[in-house]
Amino acid sequence: MIVAFAFLASMTLLSALGVVLSRSVVHSALFMSASFLGVAGFFVMLNAPALAAFQVLIYVGAVTVLVLFGIMFTQRPQVQSFRTIINRQIWPGFFVAIGVGTFLAYVVSIQDWSGTEPGNGPQGPGPLGEILLGVNGAPEIFQLLFEVISVLLLVAIIAAIVISRRKSAEGGTDRGVEE
Amino acid sequence: MQQFLDTLSATVPLEGYLVVGAITFAIGAWGALIRRNAVVVFMCIELMINAVNLSLVAFADYLPNAGGAGVGYAVLVIAVAAGEVAVGLAIVLAVFRTRRTVNVDEVNLMKG
Repeated sequence: MIVAFAFLASMTLLSALGVVLSRSVVHSALFMSASFLGVAGFFVMLNAPALAAFQVLIYVGAVTVLVLFGIMFTQRPQVQSFRTIINRQIWPGFFVAIGVGTFLAYVVSIQDWSGTEPGNGPQGPGPLGEILLGVNGAPEIFQLLFEVISVLLLVAIIAAIVISRRKSAEGGTDRGVEE
Repeated sequence: MQQFLDTLSATVPLEGYLVVGAITFAIGAWGALIRRNAVVVFMCIELMINAVNLSLVAFADYLPNAGGAGVGYAVLVIAVAAGEVAVGLAIVLAVFRTRRTVNVDEVNLMKG
């Protein structure tokens, strides 16, 4: 367990640093998918294999491909110098991040976590589905949240289409995607 | 030797996962503060969301009275993050069409 934890932690943290400090945008996207894979491994260690499958499908698959499409549409993939990718707030931002990280790590470390042990979560897809639907002893707020998330995903799809479609110059009518 | 093997196979305490989540959150916040490219800023926001997800699932697995609700919240957070990145990249695309740049410090359309 310790070996797997150390491997996954170093993979997640080094890939996260690679996202921030990589000079090529495409390399940042690939580092991001490596970091997501590390978090998926953590989910397997934490007895949530269904959530690990969601993580691999949605983040490593869909979000990375979406970000790569965004890169492809908006910029040429070339390595830029370190001065041009960072704005002038590198050291203030660094100190803010160090402050946030040490504060959060300190707060979770001084808490007495004795009495907690692994193995309390939903072990498979069945209990996870019961939690998501709010039945069989799960919190009933999930019934509302499930419906809200469904509507939110529909709104997000429509908003993405409406925002990114190309408008004609005059007349105000939308012509669709490409001429 | 046996003691060393026992140390290697011991279970990780809850603090380990939480500290990894906190450090990932801090790295994502650093990137969102310092990078100029809007797409990279979105990637760093995704990193922060993943750190929060890791903490949620760790709590759901370790706390005895939570009932595993954190895993359900993590699924909802994944759905919200997927919607967010779709709308965000659509906005980046729309901004690039009109301004020919995606650097966040050169887009001053709403500056008074």
